Amino acid sequence: MTTLFSTVKTARPALALLGLSLAGLAGCQTNIDAPPSASAGTLDFTSYVSVGNSLTSGYSDGGLYNEAQATSFPALLAQQFATTNKGPAAFVQPAFSGAKKDGSGYIKLQIVNGALAPVVPSAANKFLGEQVAYTGANPALPTELEAYTGAQPDNLGVPGISVLSASAKASLVPQVAGAAKAYGVLNNFYQRLLPAADRGTKDYVTYIGQKTPTFFTCWMGNNDVLTYATNGGVAVATNPFSGLTDTASFRRGYRDIVTTISKAGTVKGVVANIPNVTNIPYFNTVTVAAVAAAFKAANVASPGVFIQVNGTPAVRLATSADLLTLTAQSLVAAGAGSTPGNPLLNQYVLDAAEITTVVTRTNQLNAIIANEAARFKVPVADMNTFFTSIATRGIYTNAVNNTATFASGNLFGLDGVHPTPRGYAVVANEWIRVINNYYGATIPNVDPNTYRGVLLP
Amino acid sequence: MQVKSLLLTGGALLAASSGAFASGFQVGLTGAKNVGMGGTGTGLYLDQASQFFNPGAFAFAPTGFQIGGNMAIPRISFRPGDADQGQRTLQNTNVFPFSGFIGFGPKEGKWRVGAGVYTPFGSELHYAQGWEGRYSLTDINLRSVMAQATVAYAITPQFSIGGGVTTLVLGDVDLQRDIPVQAQGSTAPAHAQLTGKAEHKVGYNLGVMFKPSDKLSVGISYRSAVNAHVTDGDVKVTGLPASAAGSFTATKFDVTLPLPDVYSFGVGVRPTDKLLLAFDANLVGWSRYQSLDFRYLNGVLGGNALSSSKRQYQDALAFRIGGQYKVTDNFTVRAGTFYDFSAVRDGFVTPETPDADRIGVTAGLGYTFGERFGIDASFLFEDFMKRSQSQDDLISNGTADRVAGTYKTTIYVPGVQLYVKF
Repeated sequence: MTTLFSTVKTARPALALLGLSLAGLAGCQTNIDAPPSASAGTLDFTSYVSVGNSLTSGYSDGGLYNEAQATSFPALLAQQFATTNKGPAAFVQPAFSGAKKDGSGYIKLQIVNGALAPVVPSAANKFLGEQVAYTGANPALPTELEAYTGAQPDNLGVPGISVLSASAKASLVPQVAGAAKAYGVLNNFYQRLLPAADRGTKDYVTYIGQKTPTFFTCWMGNNDVLTYATNGGVAVATNPFSGLTDTASFRRGYRDIVTTISKAGTVKGVVANIPNVTNIPYFNTVTVAAVAAAFKAANVASPGVFIQVNGTPAVRLATSADLLTLTAQSLVAAGAGSTPGNPLLNQYVLDAAEITTVVTRTNQLNAIIANEAARFKVPVADMNTFFTSIATRGIYTNAVNNTATFASGNLFGLDGVHPTPRGYAVVANEWIRVINNYYGATIPNVDPNTYRGVLLP
Repeated sequence: MQVKSLLLTGGALLAASSGAFASGFQVGLTGAKNVGMGGTGTGLYLDQASQFFNPGAFAFAPTGFQIGGNMAIPRISFRPGDADQGQRTLQNTNVFPFSGFIGFGPKEGKWRVGAGVYTPFGSELHYAQGWEGRYSLTDINLRSVMAQATVAYAITPQFSIGGGVTTLVLGDVDLQRDIPVQAQGSTAPAHAQLTGKAEHKVGYNLGVMFKPSDKLSVGISYRSAVNAHVTDGDVKVTGLPASAAGSFTATKFDVTLPLPDVYSFGVGVRPTDKLLLAFDANLVGWSRYQSLDFRYLNGVLGGNALSSSKRQYQDALAFRIGGQYKVTDNFTVRAGTFYDFSAVRDGFVTPETPDADRIGVTAGLGYTFGERFGIDASFLFEDFMKRSQSQDDLISNGTADRVAGTYKTTIYVPGVQLYVKF
């Protein structure tokens, strides 16, 4: 066989000569008729501004860091808008400086005791070697991050922000409205964006009002239910923004936001609604059944998982209707929930009643979002339906089946709440679909497979 | 041992082309005279290539030796369906299907014996770096070389039969794709490569020819299917994160790729001494290719000991028409055309065989030097119909392991053949 292969090489040139004489014919590449070329339609993306929370900022794996920020869905949208020749010359995101590129730090998968486990960076583990941006210089805000000093960004996403905390006009309760005004000293991600003089005095709505967009996206409201839900349906007394936002406050705040960013309806844009947070891996990875099985394996007599509840008795056995949080994983591994005397605490359990409350409020807030969108004549990207579809069916992207499964599903990062770059690409395509449908534009989609899922050690 | 010496002396130009000339991953660029005439040959007894087209006709063919090669120049484009990043152009790899035959027998006698080598199947494609479908396929190189020993006998001057024994003397496969798993600190996903060689499986072909006069010949032939069975192929995975190693422990694989059987019917008509017209119809039994199943040995790949991918090919028909005209005693011109139906159903197109209905146009020249020596040149142009499938099509067919988008292929194949008559 070796002989056979070597003769191939020597025989090729002779044939190539014949091929060359026909090169004129053979040189033409086949062409597939292009779909309608990228067009912005009547839209103008030269100053695209995105308003929102962590999902807009590019937050992933429990942190905001440069690599994930680079694939935030607004950054991907700006990149696709640019193909229409009406895109922004530059889409500015509030990146951290190179030496502190890992920002607030991010969760990594590591092998712990022979098994893969998400490990949260902290001072104790030297932030997993990440180049974090904590200043350590502000006793009032221990999580203070390196200030962003560039011009006001186009991506205005602030992790953690809710409608209630974004607008001083949302709540009629003076303390809550005051907290929204003072949000720049409460939220380290908002603080780093504000000039020192504005911290503690400028609410988010005023801040975004400084921009003059030609097009905007607005994805707000998630934290008006998510903060409460991810804390197991427990509001923190010292935090006015940790409960479920009431509908009246939400309506006032949401209208304030959209009025401001759309310049009273004169600027075109898109708003997105709130996904059903109980679909995310944060609530579907640590299951009662799995924990009960683990307890049983350790102790045959184990009757199940004991959880703390409001009421008397204050402890009961969990059922399949109870959702355990992803953060409960390390606690149950250490024995929490295995005995009535050591129950899994309330903030790690979203029980059936809490689920109903959260889902009901989500639907109410989404109805308000739909109403306000109609008032300002902008379309709604129905992320609620989209995320539910992903949670139930997954989404195929060219031979890859992406699902809402924690870590291995490619779409959700290691905090179980926020998308991976792949997930953000899929989300960007949903925005594009809505923009194209509503405004008659032909913005090309992103190829999600270009962007990573969860990285493994 | 005839076969072996032919292999060595014939300047064996290794096979492979992206389905040039026939549906699926058939190549069938055998015999430059036949290629020039649209791929007809079942009803003809022109030269030694009849051993391939119809061993029955071989009884009426002149004796001699011939060797030929082609350069298949494919031009393949892909445009992604959903995520339109513009058109992808494949790294077009020129490939070199070849054939060589020798035939002996008494000049006016009733029998012939012969042997040949040819490249009936093959495919070589290299997709652009980082293309949308890289988790389905990045590279494929399928090659096959068949050797054949043939006998033919003319029972009467009007009727002959013949048969050949074929062996897959070389069959190798090289399949590569990316794995959607990425290591921390790496910018690229893991990559898998499967390489292996096929067993030397034996098959056969049979044919009959009826030649009521010098002006008319009719032939029927059958070429058997061969299962290209790769055992003990090598699995190589690179760029794998250590924590995923447990899901990619396989070191060997086993796969069977069916090379289908072909039924052919052909007619040759000679209205004058100078003019020959030919018509062929082929039915290729692609329906035996229902799924591509890899069995992994010594472990798992992607957590599975088996992987199965739907093919559900359908039997494919092809119709061919061609002719040659003797301009002078030494100089012959040829032309032909064919239409070939795809073996691949809608929504089942894979990146490794972007098959489609195709139309072909051929031309050829022949020149003889004296009584014994000659040269034939052929040119084939093949135009595949544009073929699209959407992600929704793939999901509803259970074929989401491939890529949504549009394929378009054209192939140019110049070829040349030298012969000597004994």
